[in-house]
Amino acid sequence: MSELVTIYIDGQPYEVPKGANLVDVAKFYADNGIPVFCYHPKMEPVGMCRMCLVELGTIMRDRDSGEVITGENGEPQVRWFPKLQTACTTTVTDGMVVRTNTDAVIEARDDMIEFLLTSHPLDCPICDKGGECPLQNLTMAHGPGRSVFYWEDKVRLAKHVPLGELIYLDRERCIQCARCTRFQDEIVGDDVLAFHERGRELQIITVSDPPFDTYFSGNTTDICPVGALTTADFRFEARPWELKDIASLDVYGPEGANISLSTRLDRDAGGIVIIKRVMPRQNEAVNEIWISDKTRFGHHHTRAAERLTKPKVRVGDRLVEAEWDHALEVIRKHIKPNVSVGAIAGPTLSNEDLWELRKLAQAVNAGAKLSIYPATMTGGDIIAQVGVGVGTNFKDMGSGTTIVVVASDIEEEAPIWYLRTKVAGDRGAKILVLNARETRLDHYAADSIRYDYGAAVSAVNDLAKHEAVTNAENLVLICGAEGMTLEQHGELMNACANLLVSTGHVGRPNNGLLAVWEGANVQGAFDVGFSTEATAEMMAKVPDLLFIAGCDPIGESAEAAGLSKAKFIVVNSLFDTPTTAVADVVLPSQSFAERDGTFTSGERRVQRFYPAQGVIGQSQTDWRIFASIRNGLNGSAVQRLTAGVFKELAGEIAAYEGLTYPALAVVERQFPDVGGDDLYYGGTAYQNNGGLGVQYPATSEAEGAKPSKFATKGKKTSYKGLTAIPVNRLYDRGYLFKYSDELMQQRIGEPFVVINPADAANIAGGSRVGVTIDGVQYEALAVVSEDAPKGFVLMPKRLTSQPGPFAPAAIETIEVIAEPVGA
Amino acid sequence: MFSGFWMTIKHAFMDRPTISYPEERRPVHERFKGRHALKRYDNGLEKCIGCSLCAAACPADAIWVEAAENTDDERYSPGERYAKTYEINMLRCIFCGYCEDACPTEAIVLEHEYQLSFTNRRDAIYTKDMLIDNPPEGREGTPQTVEPGAFDRSIPDMENPK
Ligand code: SF4
Ligand code: SF4
Ligand code: SF4
Ligand code: FES
Repeated sequence: MSELVTIYIDGQPYEVPKGANLVDVAKFYADNGIPVFCYHPKMEPVGMCRMCLVELGTIMRDRDSGEVITGENGEPQVRWFPKLQTACTTTVTDGMVVRTNTDAVIEARDDMIEFLLTSHPLDCPICDKGGECPLQNLTMAHGPGRSVFYWEDKVRLAKHVPLGELIYLDRERCIQCARCTRFQDEIVGDDVLAFHERGRELQIITVSDPPFDTYFSGNTTDICPVGALTTADFRFEARPWELKDIASLDVYGPEGANISLSTRLDRDAGGIVIIKRVMPRQNEAVNEIWISDKTRFGHHHTRAAERLTKPKVRVGDRLVEAEWDHALEVIRKHIKPNVSVGAIAGPTLSNEDLWELRKLAQAVNAGAKLSIYPATMTGGDIIAQVGVGVGTNFKDMGSGTTIVVVASDIEEEAPIWYLRTKVAGDRGAKILVLNARETRLDHYAADSIRYDYGAAVSAVNDLAKHEAVTNAENLVLICGAEGMTLEQHGELMNACANLLVSTGHVGRPNNGLLAVWEGANVQGAFDVGFSTEATAEMMAKVPDLLFIAGCDPIGESAEAAGLSKAKFIVVNSLFDTPTTAVADVVLPSQSFAERDGTFTSGERRVQRFYPAQGVIGQSQTDWRIFASIRNGLNGSAVQRLTAGVFKELAGEIAAYEGLTYPALAVVERQFPDVGGDDLYYGGTAYQNNGGLGVQYPATSEAEGAKPSKFATKGKKTSYKGLTAIPVNRLYDRGYLFKYSDELMQQRIGEPFVVINPADAANIAGGSRVGVTIDGVQYEALAVVSEDAPKGFVLMPKRLTSQPGPFAPAAIETIEVIAEPVGA
Repeated sequence: MFSGFWMTIKHAFMDRPTISYPEERRPVHERFKGRHALKRYDNGLEKCIGCSLCAAACPADAIWVEAAENTDDERYSPGERYAKTYEINMLRCIFCGYCEDACPTEAIVLEHEYQLSFTNRRDAIYTKDMLIDNPPEGREGTPQTVEPGAFDRSIPDMENPK
């Protein structure tokens, strides 16, 4: 805890941390909302808008004795600044005296509002910000209620300027606070927005090509204090006061980003309640108040036209719609005692689904294989042992902390971790990036270490001698799996764990390992007893009976094609996919928006999400489906509520012991305040009303725990010839995201491969090429760039013309199919 | 007793205050609040911009508005926004007129029609088609195709745009 000082706000004394920002302090300790436009608690103050003017002074002290000088009536004497000061650029010092409600301050606020409104269009009735607009609210609270300016002199500017596909700018509404440009520069590090011209002509423009090219653009609409920046997704969908907000979680990434779903009834959707927009929900330990554009705009799959509404049963070579009872009956008939069983769980299944799937599979055959798709990463057990300590928060990382990112293009794979790592770097944390190729995070890295694909393990082993590691007070390792087989990744996780254990960086906050899991609940799947090794075994020897849920392996990855050999396949799915096409029974399941449950994030934080959207068709929650099948099999009891399933699970899984739904729903006051009446302060991110979740402790945190030894063989793999390296892209055509609306479709782009110039002797950038791997030709756009190391071709996963490889694969040939357009 | 009879006889020959509705109807006051109408500008564009303020003001929660975006090829109202759905549940409405007060473009007006009848709840929901006025003589209705940039303001300074 930092040193406390005493300051006086409107006559009242407050004990506050020294050096804190005056606006923050007044708000948090004195509940005194000093109005601001340009200041934002997450960014450096710039003092541009002058809305935060206050009277400022210090208590006079005698120079020699240090005694407080008192006046005639015994009151301490205050030396006032001759003019009003901006609170946002003031840090508190001992004996500071602030007045926020004097005539001078009130007049200054009046004037500022009056000036801001001289050229403001005042189209609140049609403005998407109307109802949650800081300018509107502060005008009501502090405005003069009249204006001496002429209406005719208002500046008229363009009202409908698309900044990229996702965001619209209304130039008239912009009050030039620069929050958006500062967010992009300071926090994200993408210089995509800038000011253009000066004075009354000052305008926001986008300076990137494609325009506003960043994964975080939506956040600017939250912090813009007016309706100048609004999203194309929510455009005119509803007024903010008509929305009901439901706490939920991101379904795409391992970060466990907290979101709030704004919902409303909708005529076009058949009169059900639907998600109108996705907003960040504050969780300072997880995503603060930021979310990626994928999280924000990727909700349309939940009610895509392709959603399955009824079960389907195979009749001959066709799948025909059937009633639930019939479909369940068919499944029951096919379950013979002791058939070999496999269960494949996708990364979007909740812990409850996983638990019921496990119970079902084991009820059929105690030796059932419980597997996770995608089977690219392993080591959930390692995370449970040496994962980051409870209380780990990127926000607390700064100088003294070293963050190592291994084998991951973290901006694409876990954008929130990317953002927070980058910001921690700005605060003085050392970032080390170990990768075979350059990634975005390299710009902020204290050191970038290159290895050859196949040699990641030795690169990590060598880290033990790296000065940023030896000198680190705190050490966090973030481990991905780019360019690796499952086995190699297992080695890498061991090497990472080994490094942490041998340097003593386990078992405490802000130290330990994070894995960049490919999905929202991969950690949960490991915890509940599923594994990726089982997946690999299963692909080698396909069981007779297969349950597949929450994923589309056959549609996404080349390695999964063999699964169709199983004798009887039951698939729970939201959509018709290549996987459901080989199924014998297809059961419609519910998206995260229609049901409740828990996900466990990569930081081992178990968090709840709640039902928000009306149910589509006859779809059912995955765990209920598994429970009914099990009940039909042996008549064993089933839970009625999701909470009941979680309770059962928590009773059996040691790590989850003592966790309950109410415990996960506990919220505490967080700094900075957002989501109250003070939208001008933190923006329109929602206050957390759904729970902060609980991070369960890693086993290395237990009292007197001796961390186990992790050994690696340190074997290097070397590749000969041209090798395809599957990489992750944030916007891909994965199981859920593929069913996004038009808006995101434009962002996803077409299949492409990145080839090193040395390997692209007769391939021109921009041409269409056919890459042949294992006899299959993948058509893609060729990008010729140094981004791909020599001898390797980057091939984004789930963005291939056909299900592509998920592990490095030898390329047989690359042929040019069509020359670049215009060449 | 006779005074009582006298009273009866006197009244029997006085003018009757009742009228034979519905053949005859009494005029209503100018400020009478009857069934709503959605108004149009003289050029046929709808005044309603789908801002939903009427719905917010309504104490009976009788109004349902869903908005959508105008384009110059398919323009319903001036500015960027128009009401895609506009419904009033007449069973809920208490004819208080708050919606009229709340409207920034004077689009929703309570007129003099009071003869509302329906035989089931569904019919009590008046949709936009039922509420909107016919376009003025000789003008086309909505959507209209208009010159680009001619109607970029939603609240055209409280005048009829040309
Ligand atoms: S930005 Fe705020 S004040 Fe300006 S038009 Fe929109 S709602 Fe009204
Ligand atoms: S667009 Fe919004 S956030 Fe950006 S400068 Fe203008 S008012 Fe500020
Ligand atoms: S008249 Fe009153 S009750 Fe009726 S729709 Fe308007 S605001 Fe609602
Ligand atoms: S100048 Fe202080 S908030 Fe803008």
